[in-house]
Amino acid sequence: MTQPGKSDSQHAADDLLTRVESRRRDHTGRRGKIAINLVLGAVGVFMISPLVWMISQSLSETEDAFSIPPRWIPYPVTFENIVAVFDYMPFGQQFLNSLMLAVGVTVGSLFFSTLAAYAFSRISFRGSRPMFVVMLSALMVPPQLLIIPIFIMMRQLHLVDTLWALLLPALINVFQIFFLTQYFNSIPREMDEAATLDGAGHPFILFKMLVPLAGPALSALAILSFEASWNNYFAPLIFLSSPENMTLPLGLVVLQNGFGQAPASVVFAAITLVVLPVLAVFVAFQRQFVASIATTGLKG
Amino acid sequence: MSTISHKEVRRPGQVARRRRTALTGWMFLSPAMVVFLTFVAGPFVYAFGLALYDWDLLTPAEFIGLNNFVELFQDPELPRVLLNTFVFAFASIVTHLVFGLLLALGVDQLISRSLSYFVRVSIFFPFLVSWAAVSLLWKYVLDPSFGYFAYYLGLIGIETPNFFSDPAWALPAIIFIDLWRTLGFTFIILLAGLQTVPRELLEAARTDGANAWQTLWNVTIPMMSPILFFATIITFIGAFQIFDPIQIITKGGPNNSTTTMVMYLYEKGFQAFDMGYASAVAILVFIIIMGVTLLQFWGRRKWVHEA
Repeated sequence: MTQPGKSDSQHAADDLLTRVESRRRDHTGRRGKIAINLVLGAVGVFMISPLVWMISQSLSETEDAFSIPPRWIPYPVTFENIVAVFDYMPFGQQFLNSLMLAVGVTVGSLFFSTLAAYAFSRISFRGSRPMFVVMLSALMVPPQLLIIPIFIMMRQLHLVDTLWALLLPALINVFQIFFLTQYFNSIPREMDEAATLDGAGHPFILFKMLVPLAGPALSALAILSFEASWNNYFAPLIFLSSPENMTLPLGLVVLQNGFGQAPASVVFAAITLVVLPVLAVFVAFQRQFVASIATTGLKG
Repeated sequence: MSTISHKEVRRPGQVARRRRTALTGWMFLSPAMVVFLTFVAGPFVYAFGLALYDWDLLTPAEFIGLNNFVELFQDPELPRVLLNTFVFAFASIVTHLVFGLLLALGVDQLISRSLSYFVRVSIFFPFLVSWAAVSLLWKYVLDPSFGYFAYYLGLIGIETPNFFSDPAWALPAIIFIDLWRTLGFTFIILLAGLQTVPRELLEAARTDGANAWQTLWNVTIPMMSPILFFATIITFIGAFQIFDPIQIITKGGPNNSTTTMVMYLYEKGFQAFDMGYASAVAILVFIIIMGVTLLQFWGRRKWVHEA
């Protein structure tokens, strides 16, 4: 199944997780193969052990949690900690904040990036090349350099402690513009020239022809953008101060060391509540997740 | 920028058409450009200006020239902070690339599909969990009295230190946690890179009598060098900006043993509210990242095999 506009490397990347072509080499001996299986199995168990332990503690009764030797399967199971999370922190509100912000950032930045990439790829005009180079060089600027001036700006605009302070600067994503421009460049121009002869305008060519063809690139960038926003800690730490305005990562940390300190098992229940949706989304879209990393990595 | 060749005849309307094209181009570009100028280009220039002032946000800013930089280079804490950051970045590059490559090579050899799937998912998944959750979780996992790490190591006779209160162990512990969380990224990139090594080359090497080690060293790694190069740069840039787990777990302690550049910047800018000085630190971070990245690109010619 060859989709247009999809390179071989992306096909390979799509399948990294779901179907890996076994390329075993015959000269690895039987004993070597058993050793590899054992070592990798142990690595796998080690890697997920903190998450299993976390879920187990959050479902344990307070006196059983964090017991030594560690309990990997909670017994008896209780949902008290999960319920208590909602007493200790405005979890629902923070969940909503995280979600609104991540959706806003993803949709907004991708829309702006798509328009810009179209201009860079398909419209030749004076100044486009220098502008592209200027934007590209911004990839080297660490975000911490910009956050101090942005903080001062947001303070003057009275946007500190609002989600706007996080949303507005995130609407520009130079990497997306670069990646999409490259992607559009790889789609043959003859196609939109033909469409132009048929009387199609720029919006038609972009949204009806290029965007559908760039689906894999757009979904990869959307996943990366959503994940970055959902997990972001640095900017929320600097801009947000009231619990009801916080996003989940900051809320978690405040829950752990804030006033009216929550017991550890409640903190763990909160972490579980934050991680489980990520796990669910991952299980549903795992191929896209892996492809997003592998393809953007391979292209970079 | 298109030059008109001498054969081309200027027709009336052509200038107008080109002007209309330019207008359309800028229209498509303008949303991204407005945000870019406001939140990237503007702040970038402003940060350099800010570094010339002494300003605590409350009293009027005072112009002090290059004093912030002079002070920074005489700052008794700076050598320690730079050392911590470079140690972290170097350890991060080595561990990520070595383990990432070993795991990718190993997974490539697994025959059982379900085991292979389990290993790949368990290596990759931590990368999707936020640093906040990861830091809180590992703080407990490594805790000497609550965590299971100390318990299992104790069973095999290894006594664990109190990682986050021992100046000798706090930074290695953070390096380890970072490896746990971000190894999946390196692993996936290298696994993808490994699939691009032409099978015929591996077959040919084997026919010529090369053993596994020789094949790896003389075929696989040279063929993968562009992707290894990319992974090195990305890991360095990310590692040099490490902040979240340090701010959450150790706050830079004990005894500044985990204060990195960005942690220092945060302390100066957002705890001491010394905006000019924090900008000077940020500019130093920028210069180091840019310098090392350019250096790596310069060294690229020497070891990267271009297909």
